Amino acid sequence: MRGYNFKVLLWKELLDLSRDYKTLATSLLLPLIFFPLLGFLSLALVTQQPVNIAIVDMDREELHNKLLNLTFSSRDLVNRLINGLEGYGFNVYEAIDSDVVYNSSVDLVIIIPKGFTFNLSSLNSTAHIEIYRRANVQASARAEAIARAIINEYSNVVSKEKVEAIIKVTGLNATSTAILYPISTELQLVTIGGREVGMEEELKGLFARVLVLALSVVITPATSFIIDGIIGERERKTIEMILSLPLPVSLIIYSKLVAATMLGLLTAIADALGFVAYIVLTTMALGGNVSLTIDPILLLLHSVVAFFTILVTISIALPFITRTRGIRSASNIASGIAIIGTIVFFTGFIVDYSRLPTTIKSILYIVPYTHSILSIQYYVVGYTFQAMIHLLVLVILSLVLLAFSTKILNTEKMLLAPST
Amino acid sequence: MNNNVVIARDLVKKYGTRIAVAGISFMVSRGEIFGLIGPNGAGKTTTLRIIATLIRPDSGEIFIKNINALKDPVKARKHIGYLPEEAEVYPRLTGYEHLLFYAKLRKPGYVDETVEFGIKLSGLGKRVYDRAGDYSKGMKRRLLLAIALMTKPDLAILDEPTSGLDVYASVHVRKMIREYVRETGSSVILSSHNMLEVEYLCDRIAFISRGKIVSIGHPKEILEKYGVSNLEEAFVKAVEEAGYKYEGI
Repeated sequence: MRGYNFKVLLWKELLDLSRDYKTLATSLLLPLIFFPLLGFLSLALVTQQPVNIAIVDMDREELHNKLLNLTFSSRDLVNRLINGLEGYGFNVYEAIDSDVVYNSSVDLVIIIPKGFTFNLSSLNSTAHIEIYRRANVQASARAEAIARAIINEYSNVVSKEKVEAIIKVTGLNATSTAILYPISTELQLVTIGGREVGMEEELKGLFARVLVLALSVVITPATSFIIDGIIGERERKTIEMILSLPLPVSLIIYSKLVAATMLGLLTAIADALGFVAYIVLTTMALGGNVSLTIDPILLLLHSVVAFFTILVTISIALPFITRTRGIRSASNIASGIAIIGTIVFFTGFIVDYSRLPTTIKSILYIVPYTHSILSIQYYVVGYTFQAMIHLLVLVILSLVLLAFSTKILNTEKMLLAPST
Repeated sequence: MNNNVVIARDLVKKYGTRIAVAGISFMVSRGEIFGLIGPNGAGKTTTLRIIATLIRPDSGEIFIKNINALKDPVKARKHIGYLPEEAEVYPRLTGYEHLLFYAKLRKPGYVDETVEFGIKLSGLGKRVYDRAGDYSKGMKRRLLLAIALMTKPDLAILDEPTSGLDVYASVHVRKMIREYVRETGSSVILSSHNMLEVEYLCDRIAFISRGKIVSIGHPKEILEKYGVSNLEEAFVKAVEEAGYKYEGI
């Protein structure tokens, strides 16, 4: 009978929720639109920032090294820089002298000084380039990084040509690669069991961190929904008839909690999908290639973790929410709890909790959200047993807190706003 | 086995230092309509909420159909239909869905019959399938009253059932209550400010002032007691004799 009554109560909550288009739009559609939009917008703005780059070739020299039978020219580097930087959308032009550094409209100045080609062609000196970058201009830092990459690539080409020429002249039994790169490294990613895995495993870790971060944004709609379900119903005068039903008050609360948790769960999925879309789209837009393998068990685990994370949050908030006079003060309390959650989950995004020293972890175990984070993080690195243990702790904690918070509630507390 | 559906003894309820109910006792027998009349803040709503087991008194006893309502409020509520003074509907649910929801929880074995009776009581006709948020105030009140009465509870507690309604809607609701009691033999406790309503509906009335019953009996007995021709005058006399002082608007 208790199960039947719960189903009827939940039916009403979900029917009402399914017609609450504003709540559904803000909780589900917004993250799906918001995150990819954020990605596109920031990318569009970054690429649209005009960055003016001046290249000053003060050398303008072309020299031929007879010994190596190689010709070197400063023009060669200038052309590479112009083509490379223009390819990224920067405004590149050639200046006549170094006074261009004092031109405030120029964000980056690359000066090829006199003697550059001479030094470049010799075997006992290093060619030098001067770079002037406008401080605190974010886009100029990106341009500088790209310019350095072009110069490094050119430097590698020149050194390879020189070494190959020396080998040819001397008749040595050698290769340019063996001389330039006498040590090579090889990386193979493995699981904790030693199984070889590809780079997609790294992305799985990133995805798991995104899932942890997504937990922070599911708390707010769930607590808002529960506030609306209790304080909102009290203010809208709909709660009194429900409370007069021949049902324990805990059953009424449970139905509201489960409906709120279901909303939170859907929000979590929408947030995670939105965030993944954000990463994939921005990476693709920047010319990267993303091959993200989504582990269905990880998604299932995330859903279960999200469900109990929301439940634990609501269980903590419930006694405080019901003792408030109105939606505004209840929302303030919920915001406080949501901020704590956001802080913890943000640290979970940047910190590998499973790697923390036991002493620190022991302290953090008091915070229920720690178990949410550890459950996901342990699973991703392959510690399935530990992941399940932390999930179990989270489940027990949420159920104990739920039982406690509903135990101290009664119809009178639900019905009457406390006096000031 | 007595014929009393409600026995309330020495009910006391305080909110901090304010005494809302200061020792109220009364009984309501089967098929009786009992009215609680009093000025604003006299303790009517608190008394009705205590009887409906929504608020626990600091002291006193309540029996609903011989069930100790303080010891087993959930069991007692099975015999109660309750209409709060300021109840509202769920705007996104239809009238039919309201009736279905409450019928499923109150009378799970008789959902169809209960809903059918609820539709008849509400008089909403085909509008019962519209969202309740689009109803007029009178339609909402009729729907809520139908919810309280459709399961034919042994005791209906109606807190100002015609509150805020126009004359036409009030007349409809009063008739609805009267016919319901005649058809089902249920008991009703209601509170009201409207003396015409009280006179039309109630078999017995109690005047409440400052959390206490200052006069109780059949409307005619009360008129004779105070030597007046209508209940309004009797009410003013009764509460003023009990020390109530009107402080103006």
